[in-house]
Amino acid sequence: MGTITFEGVSKIYGGQREVRALDDISLTIGEGEFVALLGPSGCGKSTLLNVLAGFEKVTKGELLFDGTTISKPGPDRGVVFQEAALFPWLTVWQNVIFGPQVQGMARPEYEPRARQLLDLVGLTSFADALPVQLSGGMRQRVGIARVLVMNPRALLMDEPFGALDAQTRLSMQQLLLDVWQKLNTTVLFVTHDIDEAILLSDRICVMSARPGRIIKTIPIELARPRSIASLTSPEFIAYKAEIMADIRITDHH
Amino acid sequence: MSSSSERVSSDTDGKRDTVSSWTGASLAARRGLRTAALAVVLPLAVIIIWQYAGRGGSLFGGVLPTPDRVWEAWRIWAFGPTGLGLNPYSGTWLANLLFSAERVGKGFLCAIVVGVPVGIAIGWNRISAGTLDPTIQLLRPIPITAWLPFSIAVFGIQDIGAIFLISLGAFFPIVLNTAQGARDVERNLIRASLMMGAGRWTVLRRVVLPASLPSIFTGLRIGLGIGWTAVIVAEMVAVKSGLGYVLWDAYYVGRMDVVIADMATIGLLGLLSDMIIMQIERWVLNWRRLQSYQS
Ligand SMILES: Nc1ncnc2c1ncn2[C@@H]1O[C@H](COP(=O)(O)OP(=O)(O)OP(=O)(O)O)[C@@H](O)[C@H]1O
Ligand SMILES: [Mg+2]
Repeated sequence: MGTITFEGVSKIYGGQREVRALDDISLTIGEGEFVALLGPSGCGKSTLLNVLAGFEKVTKGELLFDGTTISKPGPDRGVVFQEAALFPWLTVWQNVIFGPQVQGMARPEYEPRARQLLDLVGLTSFADALPVQLSGGMRQRVGIARVLVMNPRALLMDEPFGALDAQTRLSMQQLLLDVWQKLNTTVLFVTHDIDEAILLSDRICVMSARPGRIIKTIPIELARPRSIASLTSPEFIAYKAEIMADIRITDHH
Repeated sequence: MSSSSERVSSDTDGKRDTVSSWTGASLAARRGLRTAALAVVLPLAVIIIWQYAGRGGSLFGGVLPTPDRVWEAWRIWAFGPTGLGLNPYSGTWLANLLFSAERVGKGFLCAIVVGVPVGIAIGWNRISAGTLDPTIQLLRPIPITAWLPFSIAVFGIQDIGAIFLISLGAFFPIVLNTAQGARDVERNLIRASLMMGAGRWTVLRRVVLPASLPSIFTGLRIGLGIGWTAVIVAEMVAVKSGLGYVLWDAYYVGRMDVVIADMATIGLLGLLSDMIIMQIERWVLNWRRLQSYQS
């Protein structure tokens, strides 16, 4: 459950100048796997995630989720946005239970789980606060909780910690590691932070820009469970050196 | 994860909160008082100059009565005995005010009931925008005054004609602003709701509508202002009661003191209704107020 398959997927944005945002992408992400998508700005990372979420249609190729073609967004693929995208008129609690509510679930079905998740992300005492009253990191945690409450088979995260300061970012990465190690859902994580990609993922796909292609796949075989302490281990540094070399090569093209 | 420094002021620290809201209240009261004082300076100055410029109780050779006479006329209009005395206006102020207010209320409500859904449809759906928007844009430049003969011909000299004109006048700003609000809903909010399994209707009701509310309220305030214009116009011509009717009638019999008292009444009533809407807006859009106060 939670298998993602790209088979020769291309995405071309029309308009005055055509942009080949994704070019013949083939990629399989297995059940429970954590894949990071790394690449320079404008290389098509968000586009890849958006077609997978069902927000955009593919131009060519086949895109499957657990064997079925993706046609529209749905709660089986939980998306965490860069700017959280919480509903500003709803409280933290209302934001978290939005998904189960609109799916017509009965209150006793989702309430215990929602409370548990709110507790997991450390926001129980902020249940009645509005998103504007939260810090960026807290908002992002609500964004994660509201997705996890739906029990998705895959988590799609588009630079979820990109707007956070370094310290908050570290604590969010730790939180995500903890949560993922507990739940074992498939995760596709977009970032342009090399450290973040190595720390979190089982595999890093490096993308190049125009046309958007996956130029290299690097398995990360650091021991799990990981924590932010892994950031300074020698293996970690070795991976970092390797990836930086790859990126430099693509830059010179 | 949450350290003790991450706190929301609203419900965590009860004691400090009451203290700060106390000083906050007295501060707000003082600020309110100063605002009120500033607001009355100009009208007061005009009234005083007007009073002293007048000779024998009027200006411009008897055309414009001085404020004391206007006040006296209003007092009799408001509190004088009713009946068929020499003064037909005596004691009818409140009744006429209520006639007008009721028409504005009904017309405005109709405009909201039709205007908000139509506006959302235009802003949200391309097909309904294509069908509805051109017609609305075509009708919009026709001023409500131009609708008067049509309204009288169709509805006769009756309440419904006035209500028609009011709702028509208020309809356009409500539709336009609602549509703008619905068009401007942040894309990621729509995407987030779809991702969480919301259907089309749920997206409209739970995302597009609340996200459009700030624009909708702008439309309501403009619409209500036009509603007051419309009611006066309609009452001057198309019905036989209300502030607009009294205004025109008093002018015909040369009672300029009543005319001015009537104008002042309309102004104050318009101001009051706008303040009510703003109060409702503040209450409904609490989330937005917090957003803008936080810098
Ligand atoms: N809606 C759109 N219409 C037209 N072109 C688009 C659209 N969205 C993205 N593009 C183009 O597709 C390419 C890839 O964009 P994308 O947003 O996927 O990049 P990205 O890798 O996420 O970059 P960043 O790291 O800056 O977020 C860019 O050249 C961009 O101009
Ligand atoms: Mg992006």
